[in-house]
Amino acid sequence: MQQQPPRWADRFLRWYCNPELLEEIQGDIYELYDREVAQHNVRRANLRFIWNVFRFFRWSNIKKSNSEYQSNQLGMFKNYLVIGIRNIRKQWSTSLINILGLSIAIGLALTTFIFIDQQLNMDSFHTKRNSIYQIINTVQEGDSDLARWGDSPIVLGPQAKLDHSVIKDFTRIEFRYGNLRRGDYVFNEFMAFVDPSYLKMFDFPIKYGYRSALEEKKNIVIGEETAIKYFGEEDPMGQPMSIKFANGVIQQYVVGAVMDKRPDNASFGYEIMLPMDNFFDLRFNDNYDWAYFTDATFIELQEGADPKALEELLASYKELQNQSDSRWTITDFELISLDGLGTEAFDIQESVASAGHPAGRIALGGLSVILLLLACFNYMNIAVASATKRLKEIALRKVMGSDRRQIIYQFMLENFIQVILAMLIGVLLSYYFLLPGFSYLVPINVPFVFSSWGAMVGFFASLLFVIGVLSGGYPALYISRFQPVSIFRGKEKFGSKSIFSRVLLGFQFFFAFSTIVGSFIFVDNAKFMAERDWGYDPQGVLSIPVANNQEYQKLRKAAAEKPEVLSITGAQTHIARNSTYTTVSNLDADFKAYVYRVGPEYGDLMGLKLKSGRFFEKDKASDMVNGTYVNERFVKELGWDDPIGKTFTYDSSRYNVLGVVEDFHYYTFWVDIEPVFFLMVPEDDYNYLVVKSDPEKLVAVDNYLLSVWPSISPNDPYDKAYQEDAMNGFHEENRANIVIISFIAGLAIVLACLGLFGLLSFNISRRLKEFSVRKVLGAQSVEIIRVAGKEYVWVLTTAFLLGAPAGFFMITQLINMIYPDPKQAGALPFIIAVLIVLVTVVITISGQIIRATRVNPSENLRAE
Amino acid sequence: MGFSLYHLSIMKGSYLGEFEELVLLTVGSLYKEAYGVAIMDEIESQTERSVNVSAVHAALKRLEAKGFVNSHMGGATNERGGRRKRYFELTLSGKKVLDESMALRTQLYSRIPNISYSFSY
Repeated sequence: MQQQPPRWADRFLRWYCNPELLEEIQGDIYELYDREVAQHNVRRANLRFIWNVFRFFRWSNIKKSNSEYQSNQLGMFKNYLVIGIRNIRKQWSTSLINILGLSIAIGLALTTFIFIDQQLNMDSFHTKRNSIYQIINTVQEGDSDLARWGDSPIVLGPQAKLDHSVIKDFTRIEFRYGNLRRGDYVFNEFMAFVDPSYLKMFDFPIKYGYRSALEEKKNIVIGEETAIKYFGEEDPMGQPMSIKFANGVIQQYVVGAVMDKRPDNASFGYEIMLPMDNFFDLRFNDNYDWAYFTDATFIELQEGADPKALEELLASYKELQNQSDSRWTITDFELISLDGLGTEAFDIQESVASAGHPAGRIALGGLSVILLLLACFNYMNIAVASATKRLKEIALRKVMGSDRRQIIYQFMLENFIQVILAMLIGVLLSYYFLLPGFSYLVPINVPFVFSSWGAMVGFFASLLFVIGVLSGGYPALYISRFQPVSIFRGKEKFGSKSIFSRVLLGFQFFFAFSTIVGSFIFVDNAKFMAERDWGYDPQGVLSIPVANNQEYQKLRKAAAEKPEVLSITGAQTHIARNSTYTTVSNLDADFKAYVYRVGPEYGDLMGLKLKSGRFFEKDKASDMVNGTYVNERFVKELGWDDPIGKTFTYDSSRYNVLGVVEDFHYYTFWVDIEPVFFLMVPEDDYNYLVVKSDPEKLVAVDNYLLSVWPSISPNDPYDKAYQEDAMNGFHEENRANIVIISFIAGLAIVLACLGLFGLLSFNISRRLKEFSVRKVLGAQSVEIIRVAGKEYVWVLTTAFLLGAPAGFFMITQLINMIYPDPKQAGALPFIIAVLIVLVTVVITISGQIIRATRVNPSENLRAE
Repeated sequence: MGFSLYHLSIMKGSYLGEFEELVLLTVGSLYKEAYGVAIMDEIESQTERSVNVSAVHAALKRLEAKGFVNSHMGGATNERGGRRKRYFELTLSGKKVLDESMALRTQLYSRIPNISYSFSY
C-alpha cells in the first residue's frame, strides 16, 4: 500500500473490533481502499474507508468479553463499590467534607439553574408566542440617546390591521386606576382596558367563563384573587360591579369571566380587565389620535409572516405620529416577539412585561460555577492527599493483576458514588432550603420546576459528568500511576510537595478572596444606597387621594383640628405617587422633564431643600400663573449659571424660575434623577391631601382620618400612603441582594476552609514523625507552627494579591450595571475581607496546628 | 447458565434469509476463492445491486453459525497491508439447504398454471 488510509479511522476500527475478526475485516477494507485509490482518487478512497469502518461498527464485530470474563467484571465492580463505601465510612470526616462541600455547591447550582431556566423561558405557556409581537417605539428624547419605549400610539393597532393583511389580530393594553365597587366593598384598583382579542391571543388560564367574555362590552374579567377579595365564597359570575374613574365617571359592569392563577413565568397579566370600548367612553381626552399613547400594542401575525418586512411597512406611520405630536417623536417601530419579550424587557422603558435584569442571571450563574469549582478542587486535593493511606492497596491491586485502567475505574467509581450522594443531598438542600429562601427574597415566585424534561435531564447529566470527571479525573490518573515496586520499597513520594495541589488551594482562596472582597464592596454599596439621603424628608408625611375639592376641604378641616398635624397641603400629582413626564423647551432645545402640580405649602411640607430662591407664595397670583421651581438637574440641563428669573416654555406658556431645590429621589434609587419642575395649581385640581405630622404620631393621625373618612366620602376608599413606604420595594430588593451575595461569599469561605482543613490535617498526620524529630532536637512550638504553616502562608498571600483586585473588578462591573449612581469602593472592604479570611483560617487550622505542636515524640518515633 | 446470543442464533434454526441465500450461493459458485471482497464483487456483478462488505461479513458469520459454511485463514500476501484472507466454503448441510431451497422453488414454480399468464392488466 503506497497510500495510507486515515489513521484515526483505522485506530477506531482497531479499538472497537473484536481481535479475532480484526484481521479479515481490516484486510477486506484495505483491499477495497487500494482498489479505490487505483480506480478513483485518494479523497474518495478515504471517504469510502471511513464509511466502511463505520459500517463494520456493529454489535457482532464489537469487542466483547465472554460470559466468564463478564461475571468477573461484575465481581470487580461490586468489589469497587464495597471498597468505595468502606472508604467513605472509614474516612468519614474527609468524605463528609467532600460530600457536604459538593452538595452545597450543587444545591446552589441547581437553585440558580432553575431561576435562570425560568427567566429565559418567560411567557412560554402562550402557545402563539412565536407569532405574537409587541410594537415597540424607538424615541428620541431631547438631545439624549435613542430609547426604546413600550408605549405606542393608540390608533396604531387598528390602523395597521386594516392596512396589512399579515396582521391577524391585535390587542392594546391601557392602564388606569379606578375605585372598584361591589356592594359595600370598594377599593382603589389597578386595571387594564384591553381589546376583546386579548384572551384569544394569550393563553392565560380561565377559571370560569369563556375566552369571548371581553367581546361583551358590559363584561368585566377579574382574577382569582380579586374574585375572593370581593365575593369571598360566592359565585362571582354574572354579578354586577361598578367602577368610578378619576374623572368622576361611573361605569357599570357584570362579571363575565374569572381568570385562574397566572403561571409563575408570566411576565405580564392583570387582575382586572375591561373591554377597550369602555375606555373611549370615559373621554379622558377629547379625541384619541396618533398623539395619544397607550401602554402596549400586541399584534398576532399570520403563519409564516416575516416580522422584519412588516417593521418596514410600519415605518410609514411615523410621519402620521410625528405630525400630530412634535414633542414626542418616534424614530422607528420595532417588533419584539413575545418569546423574547421577557429577556428584553429590562431595556424597554415602561414595558408591560416585568422580568429580571440579566446582571442578576450573570452574577448568580458565575458565582454558582465558581462554587462548584471550589468544591471540585476540594475533592481533588483531599483525594490526592488521602491516597497516601491507600498506597499499599493500590500496589497490591496492581501486583494481583489490575492494570492502570482498572485502578482509574475504581477511583472514578468511588468519586461517582460521592458525587451521586452529594447530588441527592444537593437536591434536598435546594428543594427544602435554598430555592424557597431565594424565592422568598426575590419579588417573583420561583417554583421547583424545569422548563422541560430535556432541561432537567441535561442539567443533571452534565452536572454528574462534569463534576465526576473534573473532580475525580486527576486523582484517579495520579494515583493509578504509582508503581508497585517503588511503593513497597517505600520510595514513592506524594501529596504535600505537589505544586498542583498548591495551585488548586491557591485557586480556592483566590475565589474566596475575590468573592468576599466583591461581596463586601457590594454590601457596602447597597447599604450606602439604602441609607442615602432621599433629598426630601419623608418622615411623618401621609397622602390621601380625594375625589374633589369638597372632599379636600372637609378632610383638610378635619385634619387641621388635630394638634399633631404640623402642616397640610394639596397636590394634583405627588412625589412617589405619580407624576407627568413631559417635554419642556427653552430657545431651541427640547428636553424631557417630570412636572409636579402642587399646593403652595408643598415644598416646605415635603422638606425639599431650597438651594436658592423660594417656593410658591400662597397669595401671589403670579406664582399660580407662571411661577415654578426646579431641581438642580433641571438647571444643569439648561446650563444656567444663575437660574433665578430665567424662563422656559411648557405647554405653550412661559414660566419664571422662582427657586431651585436640591435633587431628590422622586421614585426609587434605581432610577436616575431627571429634570423636575413644580407648578402651583388651584385647589380645585387637587387629587391628594398631603399631611405632615409629628413622625411619632403619624399612625394616630392616620387612624383619626380613617375614622372621619366615611362621613366625608362614603363612596370612595381611604387609600392612604405613608411617604416612608415609597422606597419599600427598593429596600426589599436591596436587602435580598445583600443576603444572597453575603450567603454566597460565606459559602465560598466555608468551602475554601474545608479544603484547607482537609489538606492540612492530612499533611500534619503525615509529618508527625518529622515534627517529633524536630521537637527532640529542641524545636519550640513557634518553630513547628512556622514549619507547618509556611507553605500555606505563601499560597494565601498570593491568592489574596490576585483575588482581591479580581473581585474588585468584577463586582464593580456588576454594581455599575444595576445601580445608577454607585459609591466608589474604599479600602475598608479589602481590610474586612482579609480579616474575615484570616479569622476563619485561624479557626480552621488552629486545632491541627496545636496537634502538630503537641506531638509526643516517644509515641510517634517508636518503631515496633 | 442463561442464554447467550450464540445460543439464540442456534435456536433460530436453519431458516435462510434472501441475502443469506445469495451469499451462500456465491460462496458455492466461487468455490475455493470465496472471501469477503470477492463475494461482494461477485454479488455486485451478478445482481447489479450495491452491497457493502460489512453486510457480507455479517451474513457469512450467520451462515457459519448455522453450519452452512466453513472457513479457514489463507496464507499471508503482500496485498491488503499483509492481512490474511478468510476463505469460506460450502459445508454438506450448506449444499443440502441450497438443494432444498432450489427444489422448493422448482416445485412451486411448476405448479403455476398457464392460465395465469393470460391475465391482462
